[in-house]
Amino acid sequence: MTEGKLSEDEIALYDRQIRLWGMAAQANMRSARVLLINLGAIGSEISKSIVLSGIGHLTILDGHRVTEEDLGSQFFVGSEDVGQWKLEAAKDRIQDLNPRVELKFDKQALHEKDEIFFQQFDLVVATEMKADEAIKVNKLTRKLNIPLYVAGSNGLFAYVFIDLIEFVSEDEKLRSIRPTVVGPVSSNRSIIEITTRKDEEDETKVYERIKTRNSYKSLEEVLCTATLKEKLTRRQLKRVTSILPLTLTLLQQELNEGSEKIGFELLNREAAAWCGKLGVPMAILNDEYMQQIINQRYIEFAPVAAIIGGTVAQDVINILGKRLSPLNNFIVFDGVTLDMPIFEF
Amino acid sequence: MPRETSLVTIIGEDSYKKLRSSRCLLVGAGGIGSELLKDIILMEFGEIHIVDLDTIDLSNLNRQFLFRQKDIKQPKSTTAVKAVQHFNNSKLVPYQGNVMDISTFPLHWFEQFDIIFNALDNLAARRYVNKISQFLSLPLIESGTAGFDGYMQPIIPGKTECFECTKKETPKTFPVCTIRSTPSQPIHCIVWAKNFLFNQLFASETSGNEDDNNQDWGTDDAEEIKRIKQETNELYELQKIIISRDASRIPEILNKLFIQDINKLLAIENLWKTRTKPVPLSDSQINTPTKTAQSASNSVGTIQEQISNFINITQKLMDRYPKEQNHIEFDKDDADTLEFVATAANIRSHIFNIPMKSVFDIKQIAGNIIPAIATTNAIVAGASSLISLRVLNLLKYAPTTKYTDLNMAFTAKASNLSQNRYLSNPKLAPPNKNCPVCSKVCRGVIKLSSDCLNKMKLSDLVVSIREKYSYPQDISLLDASNQRLLFDYDFEDLNDRTLSEINLGNGSIILFSDEEGDTMIRKAIELFLDVDDELPCNTCSLPDVEVPLIKANNSPSKNEEEEKNEKGADVVATTNSHGEEGIVILGDDEGEIIIDAEPINGSKKRPVDTEISEAPSNKRTKLVNEPTNSDIVELD
Repeated sequence: MTEGKLSEDEIALYDRQIRLWGMAAQANMRSARVLLINLGAIGSEISKSIVLSGIGHLTILDGHRVTEEDLGSQFFVGSEDVGQWKLEAAKDRIQDLNPRVELKFDKQALHEKDEIFFQQFDLVVATEMKADEAIKVNKLTRKLNIPLYVAGSNGLFAYVFIDLIEFVSEDEKLRSIRPTVVGPVSSNRSIIEITTRKDEEDETKVYERIKTRNSYKSLEEVLCTATLKEKLTRRQLKRVTSILPLTLTLLQQELNEGSEKIGFELLNREAAAWCGKLGVPMAILNDEYMQQIINQRYIEFAPVAAIIGGTVAQDVINILGKRLSPLNNFIVFDGVTLDMPIFEF
Repeated sequence: MPRETSLVTIIGEDSYKKLRSSRCLLVGAGGIGSELLKDIILMEFGEIHIVDLDTIDLSNLNRQFLFRQKDIKQPKSTTAVKAVQHFNNSKLVPYQGNVMDISTFPLHWFEQFDIIFNALDNLAARRYVNKISQFLSLPLIESGTAGFDGYMQPIIPGKTECFECTKKETPKTFPVCTIRSTPSQPIHCIVWAKNFLFNQLFASETSGNEDDNNQDWGTDDAEEIKRIKQETNELYELQKIIISRDASRIPEILNKLFIQDINKLLAIENLWKTRTKPVPLSDSQINTPTKTAQSASNSVGTIQEQISNFINITQKLMDRYPKEQNHIEFDKDDADTLEFVATAANIRSHIFNIPMKSVFDIKQIAGNIIPAIATTNAIVAGASSLISLRVLNLLKYAPTTKYTDLNMAFTAKASNLSQNRYLSNPKLAPPNKNCPVCSKVCRGVIKLSSDCLNKMKLSDLVVSIREKYSYPQDISLLDASNQRLLFDYDFEDLNDRTLSEINLGNGSIILFSDEEGDTMIRKAIELFLDVDDELPCNTCSLPDVEVPLIKANNSPSKNEEEEKNEKGADVVATTNSHGEEGIVILGDDEGEIIIDAEPINGSKKRPVDTEISEAPSNKRTKLVNEPTNSDIVELD
């Protein structure tokens, strides 16, 4: 893809978003190459949003065939496609969203992909995969220094994990009465530089351009060491959603046993242990949610996928456009209450 | 396993059946609407009706994923329905129309729905659908996005806040004198170019009589007011140049606007005591022809290029003028009108030492374009779809026992409201007891056959309402749409007229108030006239609504309305020339800025607007007004 200035056609097409993130970010996005692993419900949402946004290149890796169940949560496939390769069914529909984006569709299995394959990408998004697979991908992305997003859902409940390894972001905001100061702002984020500029029309307004260093941990490390102790106040700890320990339990279960099935007793016991590690009271667990997350395990649901996919795609666009501070580093979503906290591990 | 397997696992067999037999209305098939349509199709709503007035535009394609280049200029509603066919499993009914058009969408048409999803881009329609939802007690899921900011709010009539319970962002206003005499920002010059200059030259009637008695000039300086009036009259002279189609006279326009008028301003010394003086163009700048620079939309040319572009574009519009019946409206997507406004604004900016702007930037300000992206729309639509399950009480393990336990949703991280929350999900507040729409009055629907309109006398209607709800003798009756008095103790002139003779018809809303009680009065009732041709002749059925006695001082105060009406003379930036009130923030798509020195519509549209500022939850305004880094979000 050509670097440099946007054409008048591109400016007209992307008008409503250029007004949000500027010409430079739009031009940056055009040179970016992204890999999306798995075109499920969340993958469909992510590919839709980033193809519309005008990213340079997207490779979608998916070796599944369309099932009847896919029809209940995915919009790139129809009933006439059942039994076909999902990528074959979806590819024209995806390309149709934005003919300017270079798309590649790859049906090869993930485990057959090597370092050289991954090397060609600026960013990897892995959806709807087991924790053991995700950790393998994460090891590669760490080795190759590629940002990684992992997203998955269990019915109404979902999570996003982000590993950008280390990422320096620049934000601009209006200076408040208390100017921003250089130094750590949280366990994973530290402000390293602040420059100011005056508004060209209103001299009383001063903008701060803030450089923040975001550091990240691997998924493997998060699953070993995640805690909220000393990060949240006692009151905040009491209000942490039970989806957090439940999600972590399910992810770890996939590592320990490689097993998909988990019974109520085991989940209860392991989630309680996670509460201990996190430093949250066990009282946040409730039987109904535990039963539901077991029932709904691995289930895809369109509106949940829309929210999770939108969240991931927005962050991908932000970091490719080199704007705004990225997510850091673990988000869970409760589709019953629409609660969607961000945790730093 | 069949396609509904996952859904059934999540909501259960019974709820699945209920969903399959439910019917919903989706208002808007644009940014949020495309996303919502996809979500609610995949959630297997039995029947989905989609209303959208718009056609597809190129600038929609970055987010409205159901539309393609080849669909440009096609209706959104029908195109969307075609685009979803491969994954659709619901009955879809598209309408290309305005949801506020009562003849196409009468009140009883709305009654067929179990729930309404709003995916709108303007305040007028949001208010209208909210009102419909209140009259019919239909749950409404309201939503909106602007760039990274998004919100979703379920509205359960009588149980939770309605759309009008919290104060909405009001359009920006500028005093006339800032626009006419002392601009200090690019927007002042753009508003001048678009609303005064362009309208005066190309869109106004060719007569010089402006009603300016009730203008608020934003200044008491008599000299300046005189100058503004004088200048307005001179603009009519300029219009004659346009009509003459004599391109050689265009420099006269430049001379008048950018030399003579500026010199007159300079002569008013009061204005420049604390301000930098403007510098008029020179004769040589106007009369030295330069070659036209076809500059890119995102760059700013030199002043000399602006001047020569102004001359060229004026000539072009001059040629168009007679071909378009001597009337050209400003339209941000009409490149000629945009270019004219941009060059005129930039020349004025240059004169006043204000930075010039690119056409791209001026388009945003002049067209009031709101940035819009796919991701925010997807997130907000997802939240709307999810909460509909709880509004319809379809989640057995999370039963809806109290509607105020349900959640609204805001983008928290993206809107810079919180660093540790992607969405915030405050619980719904109960109705604001001062809300003019949902709480100050009782509401109901009068079902009328159309013959009744022509037969029934006003006095008959008054009597039957009085008797039905036990009002005392002394009452008043207003046409609520324009605050027209129809009846009170010393106004009985209309008594013998039929309803149609006094211009009551389908969609009219009347307000019936107790004017008698000293300490306790009967609460006022607003009644919607729903005329239905299907009804048998002579049908006029009043709703069974309980109208309670309340303390007397709770009645809507007319004095406030009048006060408000009198001070509405600031120059107001609003959505469109039909006088609808402007939405600046909530839209997914553009409206227009209009500058208008008269009170909007001259009506008392929102009588108690000023009272609702102490509304219980005002987070939406907060989201929009004061993005900060602090975590304002408190849950539970």
